[in-house]
Amino acid sequence: MLRVRTRDAIAFQIGVAIFLSIILFIILIPLWRVIVTAFVPLDTYTREGIPFFLAPWDWTVEAFRQLITHSLFPRALLNSFIITGLGTIISLLLTIPMAYGLSVKNLPGRNFFMILILFTYLFSPGLIPVYLLITRMGLTDNFLAIILPPAVSVYNTLVMMRFFEGLPDELREAAALDGANEFQILWNVMLPLSKPIILTIGLFYAVYFWNEFFTPILYLNDHDLMPLPVLLRNILISASFNEYVEYDAFSSSALESLKAAGVLITMLPMLAIYPWIQRYFTKGTLVGGVKE
Amino acid sequence: MKNWKYVLIAVVLVSTQLLAACAQEPAAPTAAPEVAATVAPVEPTAVPEPVDITLWAMATVTEAGPPPDDWIAYDRILEEVNVNLKYEILPTGSDGEAKLNAAAAANNLPDFMQMVSASNDPRGALYNLVQLGLIAQVDDMLALMPERTQKHYNDPLALSLSTFDGHLYGLPEPPPIPRREGLLIRKDWLDKLGLAVPTTPEELMAVAVAFTEQDPDGNGKKDTYGLGGFLNGDGMGTRFDFIMGAYGVAGMWDFDDAASFGLNVRNEKYPEALAFFNSLVEAKVIDPDWPTLKRDDFRARWKQGLFGIMWEDFAALSNKSNYTPFDENFPDAEWVPIPAPKGPYGDATYGVYTGRGQIFAVSQKAADEGKKEAIARLLEWMATDGYYLLGFGEEGVNFIIDANGNISTEGLDPTKAYTAAEFQPFTQMRNQLVFYNSTQEIAARYPNWTTINGRTMQPLTYLTFYQSQPWVDGRGIQVILPPANAADFLRYYTEGIVQFALGQKEVSDENWAEYLAGLDSLGAVEYEASAKQALIDAGLLK
Repeated sequence: MLRVRTRDAIAFQIGVAIFLSIILFIILIPLWRVIVTAFVPLDTYTREGIPFFLAPWDWTVEAFRQLITHSLFPRALLNSFIITGLGTIISLLLTIPMAYGLSVKNLPGRNFFMILILFTYLFSPGLIPVYLLITRMGLTDNFLAIILPPAVSVYNTLVMMRFFEGLPDELREAAALDGANEFQILWNVMLPLSKPIILTIGLFYAVYFWNEFFTPILYLNDHDLMPLPVLLRNILISASFNEYVEYDAFSSSALESLKAAGVLITMLPMLAIYPWIQRYFTKGTLVGGVKE
Repeated sequence: MKNWKYVLIAVVLVSTQLLAACAQEPAAPTAAPEVAATVAPVEPTAVPEPVDITLWAMATVTEAGPPPDDWIAYDRILEEVNVNLKYEILPTGSDGEAKLNAAAAANNLPDFMQMVSASNDPRGALYNLVQLGLIAQVDDMLALMPERTQKHYNDPLALSLSTFDGHLYGLPEPPPIPRREGLLIRKDWLDKLGLAVPTTPEELMAVAVAFTEQDPDGNGKKDTYGLGGFLNGDGMGTRFDFIMGAYGVAGMWDFDDAASFGLNVRNEKYPEALAFFNSLVEAKVIDPDWPTLKRDDFRARWKQGLFGIMWEDFAALSNKSNYTPFDENFPDAEWVPIPAPKGPYGDATYGVYTGRGQIFAVSQKAADEGKKEAIARLLEWMATDGYYLLGFGEEGVNFIIDANGNISTEGLDPTKAYTAAEFQPFTQMRNQLVFYNSTQEIAARYPNWTTINGRTMQPLTYLTFYQSQPWVDGRGIQVILPPANAADFLRYYTEGIVQFALGQKEVSDENWAEYLAGLDSLGAVEYEASAKQALIDAGLLK
């Protein structure tokens, strides 16, 4: 019996491996395509389109050069880092205590607050009320207009709340017996145990702010505040309207190459962060998503 | 005792959430009166205090960004027009529309703005804002800017399209260069195969077959097609209008007169045109990817020498940067413009000219603050003293005017020339508020250049040819509002036509009647009636 089970287990593992390989392949093909497209030289593109493989001697970083050496690129990159960094910190500072407070089962009015929070999750106020709020708070042309509205995500709060609920109550009670107040319990006891969820939710927020594109268009009229996604979009629009740009088009790359290079450039920071927190990521999402 | 702390934490944070989610009641955007009071024309006079004007307009080159704060034009405008201009760039398309609508909902529109519409319908965008009472009448401003009116606002039809209830609400800028696309053929392929320029659909077919079968590029492979194209718009799009036009059915609508007005698919020649198109498909002489190709893929393909007959924008073909990849691949090749083929009933149409231009408007708020006169002064200055500065930069630094009166950069520092990428932020307003398609302007915008083999490429030669061809005046399309079920209607309309063109449905009387019945079931008759009425009301259909 044991032997049969082992054989079954091995067959199952092989099946899983094959299935995951297929999934990996399906994911890698478009990614590979994006990479090739980003590096294809303009003359190769105009001669034969986008090949599946590039010859080792037939590639160029022109599309990257064109994007990165754009005069507005450094400023836009800095703006994106500021929005992402500041947005992630503020969001975590607001989300953590809220999730912790709601995770305390004997919180008076807990259900009431949960309903209020879920109400905002289920019924979005829409663009106009938020626009009115932001403009009347005088936040136009201010990064806070991008950062504050999504600073407390209901979904992230609930995931984090579930994580806090999973931590033993005894820890909190022991700290309280030692005379710690609630902020001390949160700071000194809960947070050190919550690295996985903090990093996971932090990553969610960071990715959101890094990619945020529409609200900067809405609230930032000053081009000096423009983040990277808006600049990349503007460059792509210009490239796609080459026939209307008189004199000379300013693109020395195929539009598809610029798009692909833009995708890779914007992916890079998140791609760089992810391996560092990957070991926490699975744990954070799993633990936060399960109610015991 | 300690529970109050949880309450405090939760209350503070829940209120943060609610603040973001439930903003205060939007203020009624109709603070402005429904019909603004007419302001009597006033002679421009010196205003003691500078007038702050905020302008929202799209960029000419989106990637270039706005001019810097120390732009010389800002100083000149302040000195000469007494206006303190704040110029902010509006995003294009749906993003720009959302921004404008959000500002309108907040009664926070800028003083002077460009109408932006995701569906390229600036008139519709203007109409919506006028209905909300957020846009001021501008009839009286025309008298304050005589030269600009003469150059920019001289088209009665464009003015009538911005007029509602007898009052002008929008300032219609001249449309981008009209009739700028046309039919082209590879002259080097014609010469190699000893063929003449096709003048009828049948000759077009014969040449297309030859281009497909007889190795016109001489590479020993059968790797070329007669025609290339892509679907660009509803139905057969605009890129095959020269074929549909040979049967008198170019475009969606028949604008000839009130009696015949309706959808072109009602015309019995329409299925005939589709049958001819299908014969091109069946003969495999058209790039088979035409139904799914994107514009940029199409352009990559003609630059790869894939086909010998196509419909293309003059600048997309012949501007140096656009043509150079093709020139490098085929230095001896030559695209020449050709007339529209004449069909069996004597019809020959290049395409449909819709003439959509940009529309600018003054907010009612600005009018209430008495800013209309200052805006008129600014616009007049842009068309007179400030014209060259906003369009080309500083004379002697960014451009010169040569002995023939042409704009030139000869002898100037190339990095400072008005054509340089670095200089684009300084002329961002040019296509929106400055240029009006004068001969000098167009010649400056699309200069001649020399190809690899020494041939002089003259973009304007193509443009002039295209514009001399027969086009259908379809400007009335701007007043036709889409039906309520526009998405379903247009999907059925287009998919059906393409199915006939591809041969997925045989072009027979029975199938065609079935197709028309399907259109009618989606409200085609009502759509035609409302379109006709709108055109008659606007005086565009007799």
